[in-house]
Amino acid sequence: MYQHNGEEIFVIDGHVHLWDATAENIDHDGGEEFIQCFYDYHTTFTPEDRQWSIEEYRKYGPDRMVEDLFGNAATDMAIFQPTYLSDFYVEGFNTTEQNADLATEYPERFVLNGSFDPRDGEAGLEYLEELHEAYDIPGVKLYTAEWRGDSKGWRLDDEEAFRYLEKCAELGIENIHAHKGPTIRPLNRDAFDVADVDDAASSFPDLNFIVEHVGLPRLDDFCWIAAQENNVYGGLAVAAPFAQNRPGKFSEIMSELLWWLGEDRILFGSDYALWNPDWLVEEVLEAELTQEHRTEYGVEWDLETKRKVMGENAADLYDIDIEAKRRAFQDDEISREFGLGDHYAGEEPAAADD
Amino acid sequence: MTGTERATPEPSRAAVRDRLDRVTDPELDRSIVALEYVDRIEIDGARVAVEFTLPTAWCSPAFAWMMAVDARDEVESLPTVETARITLTAHMHETEITRGVNERRSFAEAFPDADGDVAAVRAELDEKARVARQYDAVEALLEAGLDPDAIVALRRRDFEGLDGGTAADGADETVAVYVGDRSFAVTAPAAPIERYLEKARETGLVSDPDDRLFRTPEGEPIDPDAFDLVRRRGRLAKVNMSSQGGICDGLREAREGRLEKSADD
Repeated sequence: MYQHNGEEIFVIDGHVHLWDATAENIDHDGGEEFIQCFYDYHTTFTPEDRQWSIEEYRKYGPDRMVEDLFGNAATDMAIFQPTYLSDFYVEGFNTTEQNADLATEYPERFVLNGSFDPRDGEAGLEYLEELHEAYDIPGVKLYTAEWRGDSKGWRLDDEEAFRYLEKCAELGIENIHAHKGPTIRPLNRDAFDVADVDDAASSFPDLNFIVEHVGLPRLDDFCWIAAQENNVYGGLAVAAPFAQNRPGKFSEIMSELLWWLGEDRILFGSDYALWNPDWLVEEVLEAELTQEHRTEYGVEWDLETKRKVMGENAADLYDIDIEAKRRAFQDDEISREFGLGDHYAGEEPAAADD
Repeated sequence: MTGTERATPEPSRAAVRDRLDRVTDPELDRSIVALEYVDRIEIDGARVAVEFTLPTAWCSPAFAWMMAVDARDEVESLPTVETARITLTAHMHETEITRGVNERRSFAEAFPDADGDVAAVRAELDEKARVARQYDAVEALLEAGLDPDAIVALRRRDFEGLDGGTAADGADETVAVYVGDRSFAVTAPAAPIERYLEKARETGLVSDPDDRLFRTPEGEPIDPDAFDLVRRRGRLAKVNMSSQGGICDGLREAREGRLEKSADD
């Protein structure tokens, strides 16, 4: 429970990874370029005294991850979003199976999502079923712009993708996180295109489509689609760290999101280890909208909105009972390890306004 | 200039820069000179060499291609330039792009793996740039005192004092805008309107004097009832571009810092 101006805020980090970009795991120049580019994102938006060295950044391991996420109570729970990149990394960059070790060690703290790629055909559908059986995944993270052999990407509204979405609906995998943001090897195709979310969202009203990175650099297309499809959500990873060194820009992006989507469809995510929640959560919670934006957009970044964006909206999508979690965390393994029991022992938090 | 005799004068560095200044990062709609992508300009008689770097090795090859082609064509449009050689550095596809552009191949030839040409992506980005520029032009007209009904009805012929060429340099220049069946005119700053018209022409929306100037993002005339929504969408397009610009600036600085550090080691 994050203490913010004397109020408790339950934080669910909607976007975390446990990756391995060590030299031994890199299979292709693209793998090295990829981690270097990630590192540039890291140093761009991380306060100087909180930056990691590139060596730490390549592989930080599960212990450090647990401490970074939960050690200072910046985050209460986290959702794993896998990034396979199997053409670049020998064992994959960050697969469901790799994340599963930590997620099964702390099942109360982590949510484990899977992934699919419709280009895998029947075998891919079977893999999705296996993930469902093995881990009961409640969601998937998808990379529509990932290269695979001769293919330069796929679309969520492809016929083949619809078969996978049907399978998700059938298995109860309700949360479809689409990476729509910083790119992975695009060529002439507009890898940032978010238009495919539109048809998929209207065709599968029972699924939730979370557009990660709020579509940046296609924020305009994303907001326009989300304004019309009420099962489309925005994940703040990449937009959130603007709060640290470009507060005016953060204010502007948040104002747009709050105006177009409303406060119920925006989800916080740190994109760990791109950025650490230990400083990022605080930056986002302390951020303020400028007076100009508040007047112009008529929106507020107030306590109620913060509670929703930082945790309650994700809790709704993932059927997480925040109050039950709070009680459970008074004495779970992580609270004992980091001495966090007091954080969860406070008065009953204000009831969520649903 | 050296003492050697030259049949034709060579272009000035300022003239080359001025041409490069007209090349935009298609995603950000900002000049590649202002964005500091241009690292080097070398002039050797009628041959010009330009070297440029993008914020990250991962910048879309399609966007990099567009900038390289535009830089080549702009520099070569100077009468004193015979050939422009463009070199892209520190990019995952620097070889394909540099070779392809200088050998005057098409994108599809340079990237046999790609699924065709870049025209569609370019058209889409031009359309976004138009929508963002429209926001600035409409704001200027609102500021000048026009009401939404008058603004959505404006046609190309209602403006007097537009040069019809490239964006006006002087920020002080104004245009007269005729409204109410040409019964009266107001003055407005020329620059945002010129900038808008330039993109509106490029996207083929406004060519005839009777064409409605302002459109929805889909290119349709604006229903006065939808004026506020279209305006908000324009603002959103601007916010998107400037946010992405913020990321690109940050990545460029971070990468420069990283490369300098490794050079020091």
